[in-house]
Amino acid sequence: MIASEYKEKSAGGAVMLQVRAVSKVFETNSQKAPSNHVVLNGVSIDIKDGEFVTIVGPSGCGKSTLLNIIAGLDSPDSGSVFVKGERKTSTDPDRIVIFQEGALFPWLTVIENVEFGLKLTGVPKEKRMESASHFVHMMQLSRFSNSYTYQLSGGMKQRVAIARALAMNPDILLMDEPFAALDVQTRDMLHSHLLQIHEATKKTILFVTHNINEALLLGNRIIVLSPSLGNIKRDISIDLPRPRDIDSPELVLLKRQILKELEEDFQLARKENTTATKEKAAN
Amino acid sequence: MLEKKTQQQPKKKQQTKSRFDVTDAANTALFLAAFVGIWQLVFMLGIWPKTLMPSPAQVATTVANLVSNSLLTSGIGVTMIRLAAGFVISIGIGAVVGLAMVKFRGFGKTMSSFAVGLLTFPSIAWVPFAILLIGFNDLGILFVVIMASVFSVMITTYSSIRNIPPIYLRAANNMGAKGFALFRYVMIPAATPSLILGIRQAWSFAWHALIGAEMLITTVMYGVERYGLGHVLSVGRDYNDMSQIIATMIAIFTIGLIFDRVIFRKIEERVRSRWGLDQHSDNA
Repeated sequence: MIASEYKEKSAGGAVMLQVRAVSKVFETNSQKAPSNHVVLNGVSIDIKDGEFVTIVGPSGCGKSTLLNIIAGLDSPDSGSVFVKGERKTSTDPDRIVIFQEGALFPWLTVIENVEFGLKLTGVPKEKRMESASHFVHMMQLSRFSNSYTYQLSGGMKQRVAIARALAMNPDILLMDEPFAALDVQTRDMLHSHLLQIHEATKKTILFVTHNINEALLLGNRIIVLSPSLGNIKRDISIDLPRPRDIDSPELVLLKRQILKELEEDFQLARKENTTATKEKAAN
Repeated sequence: MLEKKTQQQPKKKQQTKSRFDVTDAANTALFLAAFVGIWQLVFMLGIWPKTLMPSPAQVATTVANLVSNSLLTSGIGVTMIRLAAGFVISIGIGAVVGLAMVKFRGFGKTMSSFAVGLLTFPSIAWVPFAILLIGFNDLGILFVVIMASVFSVMITTYSSIRNIPPIYLRAANNMGAKGFALFRYVMIPAATPSLILGIRQAWSFAWHALIGAEMLITTVMYGVERYGLGHVLSVGRDYNDMSQIIATMIAIFTIGLIFDRVIFRKIEERVRSRWGLDQHSDNA
């Protein structure tokens, strides 16, 4: 059922990213009970060029793992990732990750951080400075070009991280809970900033979050990951114009549905856990 | 609001810094005065004969004499050259082996426990070995200095690189940094704050070992005796010249202070402030 749902969606429009039957198992090496935890169980997703997809799920549902596998920072136990039809097994500047912690280099200034990737690809100094200042300006950080990262607030750091990612001109932006550590006001500001960027650059964005509101406000499409399935529970398209109002009836309804499904899932997982422990006790 | 805050920060920092410097200088002067005063007092009490406990003034004269007959200055020169040579070689070897330890994990594991063992090994205990193997010459001294500091550099290189927050490496990897570029543009700068601490420690090991080795290994090269500070010190003992001993000790102390407080601390402060590691102390 799920399979037919995404196939339907991928019809029409150029497919940018294909995730095919990706599985990942984590082995917990505790001496008492060595067990295998299936985090991703044959996940398949198709994402079209220019789509803004949010992946939502509780912590431990494997959403960050999925993102890392797509980025090539982690390898799947089985399954594969294709970008524009080409199979990818390692990291590549065509898919840039924006981490929760920003991961800016503290020994570089804002502008040096932004031009870092360009320096690696051998872009001449003048050209990369030009490009870096363009993106620093776009993120409204021109005044802080020569500041070091410790002089910046959390929100500013994430803006630098976004500028750094955009400077690489990637096909896909992979965002791993980038605003989770920020206060509500800053997050709201960055949401509208990100939407503007998406509007202006038409980049394909994959945005992982545990925050349902965030997922509902940003995405053209929301993928709900379930920890008990290790797979996609729902794949929802939202055609509402953005910026959206989280209190609008459509979103409230959707939010309620998603929460209910996650709750069911949670109950299910707990039941499985208790039966597992019972079995163990019986043995 | 946030912007204002960041702009004010440098100003505030400067203010506290300059105020601190004044009190620092006053405290140092006060401490020195008290020290010389107590010394003078002990001298005047006459517990020891004047030859064994010279007055500060006598020692000052000796310092002047030792400088004018260039025993002290050339001693400092010889010692500094040895220190520089030994330290540079240590850093070279230590860095290369340390990097190899990072690259080859099995080697790294074994070598690091071996090196930790040698780190605690008293450097002066290398002296008999060096004398027999190499002889009474500069190379013998150099050997002791290198043995004293090379393991510290090795361990520091190994652990600084291994302790780089993985997030930097992942981010760099993601932007296409591989091989040498990753090493040059990410690993080296990311490891720098802790590398500097280790190099400072290696310097202090080298310095301790050098003076000790100079006291025990008298070197004659091309028929000319080459006196290092350690040698000047032991000559003072041979001639029962306490004044010369104290004068040399003061020279050794001053050199150590200059290196540690002025050179290494300056570098460390610069790195720490640029890497943003001084945040908490600023706010406090």
